[in-house]
Amino acid sequence: MIKVKNLYHSYSNDENYAVDDVSFEISKGEIFGFLGPSGAGKSTTQNILTGLLQLQKGEVEVAGYDVKHIKNKMFNKIGMSFEQSNVYNKMSGLENLEFYGKLFDVDTRNPMELIKMVGLDGKENIKAGKYSKGMKHRLTFARSMINNPELWFLDEPTTGLDPAIASNIKDIIKEENNKGVTIFLTTHNMYIADELCDRVAFIVDGKIRLIDSPKELKLKYGEKLVEVEYLREGKPIKESYSTVVEEEKNQLIKVIKENNIQTMHTKEATLEEIFIKVTGRGLV
Amino acid sequence: MIRKIFLIFKRDLKVSVRNFITLYIIVVPIIFAVIINVFSPGINDTTVEIVLIEGENVEQGEYFEQFAKVEFLNDLDEMEERVKKRDNIIGVAPDGNNEYFILSQGNEPTYVVDYVKNLVTFDHYDISVEDSQAEIVDYGRDISPLKRLMVNVATIFTSVLGGMIIALNIVEEKTDNTISAINLSPVSRLGFIAGKSLIGVFVPVVGTFLMLFITGFRDINYFHAFLMVVTSCIISIMVGFIEGINNDDVMNAAGNMKMLFLPLFGSIAGAELLADKWQPLFYWVPFYWTYKGNNLVLSNSGSLIDIMKYSGIVLVISMIVFIVLAPRIRKGLE
Repeated sequence: MIKVKNLYHSYSNDENYAVDDVSFEISKGEIFGFLGPSGAGKSTTQNILTGLLQLQKGEVEVAGYDVKHIKNKMFNKIGMSFEQSNVYNKMSGLENLEFYGKLFDVDTRNPMELIKMVGLDGKENIKAGKYSKGMKHRLTFARSMINNPELWFLDEPTTGLDPAIASNIKDIIKEENNKGVTIFLTTHNMYIADELCDRVAFIVDGKIRLIDSPKELKLKYGEKLVEVEYLREGKPIKESYSTVVEEEKNQLIKVIKENNIQTMHTKEATLEEIFIKVTGRGLV
Repeated sequence: MIRKIFLIFKRDLKVSVRNFITLYIIVVPIIFAVIINVFSPGINDTTVEIVLIEGENVEQGEYFEQFAKVEFLNDLDEMEERVKKRDNIIGVAPDGNNEYFILSQGNEPTYVVDYVKNLVTFDHYDISVEDSQAEIVDYGRDISPLKRLMVNVATIFTSVLGGMIIALNIVEEKTDNTISAINLSPVSRLGFIAGKSLIGVFVPVVGTFLMLFITGFRDINYFHAFLMVVTSCIISIMVGFIEGINNDDVMNAAGNMKMLFLPLFGSIAGAELLADKWQPLFYWVPFYWTYKGNNLVLSNSGSLIDIMKYSGIVLVISMIVFIVLAPRIRKGLE
């Protein structure tokens, strides 16, 4: 669905690259996470893929279209939810969706259905200028689905949302992905990436440092241990057992059989820990 | 493409009507029309002005005073200077052998010159109102020249208002950050610009037609008027885009559009007040040609060829400006 080969971009038109020799491919139906701290080159890459920034150097194919010669038809296939909400403040939520939907040449979704989906029903006739930041963000998110995109770009889709709404948004993303929508997710939130992405790319200083599935990364970089907390003669005991050394595996089974287990956790690494380990950088 | 252009136009119109400043701009032509109707004199209040040489022909002076406002000067040189100073004042000077010649600046309305010619002829043949057996000749002018001037200026001013609304709508797109969303829809840059431009044509055309109707210009050729309005608003549309792109504040954008008023009023004042030799100074200003074309439209004395000539000149100047500004507009909307 997306093919990027040796992509470079410089804002100063010199060798000072904001995106430096980036290459990756995304298959149809995949959720691909593009992770990195602010200024890493995530948005620049995404803006090149969507045509908001002109391609300077490299080869980029999006939804079957060469980005060097973008055709307007391409936009019928893609949707984009911006990090900064960008809706017409002087129009109501419903009017925003109705207007945007009519700009497409393909069958579009019912605006009211989308309004309901993101929990803005009852407020559809209020001008977007009177919406809270979170409501505008949800409207921007809903608008990105209006043309039933095959390829969906999501830029920090849950930023600034309360946990319940963020959870709703994640459910919608999963649901759309189940229908076959390919998703390019740009975020610095490792938890949402971990939960949603089939594969993630770590980008720092314009360069991709690693691409893999969260599961593989955890196996590769996490410790293969299980931490068990249990009561022995009324006293809490906390012990760790290897999941690969045969002797420790047997000990773990024995502990489980003979004791009252309070808690038990695998000691897998979080994506954030892996990111720091791989790039030597934090995510903020 | 056409559907999307109209969609963008409809959105802009809808939002403009909801905004006090843009709504005010939209109704300004109607306010102009009402003000012009209230303050401009009727046809009977207007007098043809004639300048004569003092004592040269006292009877002629008395005769003319029945039908026009007469001014007496000492000699032919003073008369020439006087005629050069103002439009619409006609000199009647002796040419020997009891004959007279008409002295005019050249840009007076034909009917004024005709009127003075008739007076000279009637005086020559000693024809008084009582002697006349002829039917009254009606030149069909039931609107005063001053009113025509005011409507002409207001019409050109209205064309600038369209550009002002475009500037405000672009500022809205920028502050709401919606241009990026439009850029990710299957609307071409050209389609977006065309859609945004449409309100810059619609407001001047509708505003001008309403103004013409309200001020009594109902028998003119509205197609000619349309041609002049459409071509004259092209410059304002482009300046509207540039101001919208360059400003992040509605008031600044509207305020900066005022820079168009200088060539607008300057060229009109030049066309009205300056002698022929100074007129080329204003040839580069599209409003100058619009003013001339509008004069023909409002006096109903221009043929389609005349109107196409003036609107064509405005179009050519606008195209030159377009070639200069188009890259900046395109870049600014990225």
